[in-house]
Amino acid sequence: MADLVINSRSHVEPNSNRAEPYVVGQEEGQDSSTNAERPRGTSENDGIPREEYEEEDEELELKYGAQHVIKLFIPVSLCMVVVVATVSSIAFYTETDVYLIYTPFPEESSRWQDRVKDAVYNALILLSVVIALTVVLIILYKQRCYLIIKVWLGLSSLLLLTFFTFLYLTEVLRRYNLGLDWISLALILWNFGVVGMVCIHWKGPLRLHQMYLIFIAALMSLIFIKYLPEYTLWVVLAVISIWDLVAVLCPKGPLRILVETAQERNEPIFPALIYSSNIMYSVLSDTDGDTRSPSNPEAQGVDISNSTQENLSNPQNTQNSTETPPVEGEPTNGPVAKPNQKSKPKKRRRETAEENGYVGEEGGFNRDWERESEERSRRRRQQVRNHMDTNPSHTVPGAANQEHNQSDIEEEEILVGKASSYGDWNTTFACFIAILIGLCLTLIMLAIFKKALPALPISIAFGLFFYFTTSFLVVPFTEELTIGQVYI
Amino acid sequence: MRIESLQNSEKLNLCRKYFLAGFALLPFMWAVNAVWFFKEAFIVPTYAEQKKIRTYVIISALGALLWLGGIITWILVFQKYRSEWGVLGDNLSFIIPKGIA
Repeated sequence: MADLVINSRSHVEPNSNRAEPYVVGQEEGQDSSTNAERPRGTSENDGIPREEYEEEDEELELKYGAQHVIKLFIPVSLCMVVVVATVSSIAFYTETDVYLIYTPFPEESSRWQDRVKDAVYNALILLSVVIALTVVLIILYKQRCYLIIKVWLGLSSLLLLTFFTFLYLTEVLRRYNLGLDWISLALILWNFGVVGMVCIHWKGPLRLHQMYLIFIAALMSLIFIKYLPEYTLWVVLAVISIWDLVAVLCPKGPLRILVETAQERNEPIFPALIYSSNIMYSVLSDTDGDTRSPSNPEAQGVDISNSTQENLSNPQNTQNSTETPPVEGEPTNGPVAKPNQKSKPKKRRRETAEENGYVGEEGGFNRDWERESEERSRRRRQQVRNHMDTNPSHTVPGAANQEHNQSDIEEEEILVGKASSYGDWNTTFACFIAILIGLCLTLIMLAIFKKALPALPISIAFGLFFYFTTSFLVVPFTEELTIGQVYI
Repeated sequence: MRIESLQNSEKLNLCRKYFLAGFALLPFMWAVNAVWFFKEAFIVPTYAEQKKIRTYVIISALGALLWLGGIITWILVFQKYRSEWGVLGDNLSFIIPKGIA
């Protein structure tokens, strides 16, 4: 992710540029989060005198990584703003009347024990779906069924860009009582969808690409907020982040397997597999790495001397690499969503049955989940792969940063969105800040452990913790204070 | 993806594809093309393919503006006369605002 951010903004921000030169040195050493992003180039760096940099490296790594993380703040915050604004203004997204097929237990019991039990069951079902999809993806990849994966990703992003956008638009228009005719609606959807597909899966301006990714992430989290029952949502958040941990850190974790396979084949990670948010990042990182790797001395020199111009320099050096990586990354958006066969028929039924967009829910959820999980895995894989490529010996430290992909963002948004759906701004802000803090902590952990870490769990844990503490402790406390007219 | 990283021929190719795609009722594509390649077309020091890129950018921008104007007029007309059109207006409506004649 950082890469993406950095690349995009490198021109503008001198700091990031500074970091880059160091990066070269760092990459070789154990990489902190920062390294991961640049690792590709790193291998080449071997020739460079690292020793000089080593001491500085650690500091630089931290700084560099910090910048990455801080740059992550922007997309994450944007997403959250979209979600919070939508949730607090449009009632449609806060009412859960229909459930996904994945969550058959409705949580309608009045006893909280029963509801918690239902929630856990629901979450486990969802988790198994995610795992199954991940396994399917890995098998497909192992069997080199690239076409299937591509189609799958394409379909999922298409669904999001058209159908769910349509739903969203409908609700927004309804909320603000705006009239619209079918002709302009068709034109808007067609334009939005096609340009989105082109940007995500093919070539498009970086900014637009990022905006589409953010939008997709926000849309997905809105869908989850709408269709998952209350307690299930919390449990699912926790379970998925644990799964993230396992998939990334486990020696036989699915993400690892994917990355390793890609390495064995000596090919870039399957574009579709790469997470969309990562895409941007990965693209950037790829570019950097490529630049450095092919022409190490030149690239390095360039980076160091003109960190600012990196972007410019990259294009020239990197041209080839740049082109390829983006392609890879771009397809990713859709990646996670794996349309289940099961879900489709059900969706259709519902669609026919229900006039509104509600129909798509089940499929959307499944896909979303799948997407998220897949995306994450893909991101991680990509990251890992990238890192691995550059530094074969090192596990990719940067992966964690990069990993913070759309799915992660989505989850965080879900959290904040859910919090805001209770209409308490204190809680909303607490969660928002908690998630950002979680991001920072992840960065620090990266620096400490120098190992690939999933970015999600810490943020989510923090978010959950803050949510429950503020809503159960702080808010009643402040209410008491207000009622009693006590000022602190 | 950044166009600066592309070779000139590739830039032209990309710009051309965006331009052609715009004819499929995709004014947004044109708008993106115009904005995206504006720098390439007018600011960057000249190179061989720039002239063509410039034409594409200009036509794209004009097309996008034309479309924008057209859409705005259509929406204004529709909003104004929807109720007068009766059944036709209702049939054309995706959402009919409540409480407005």
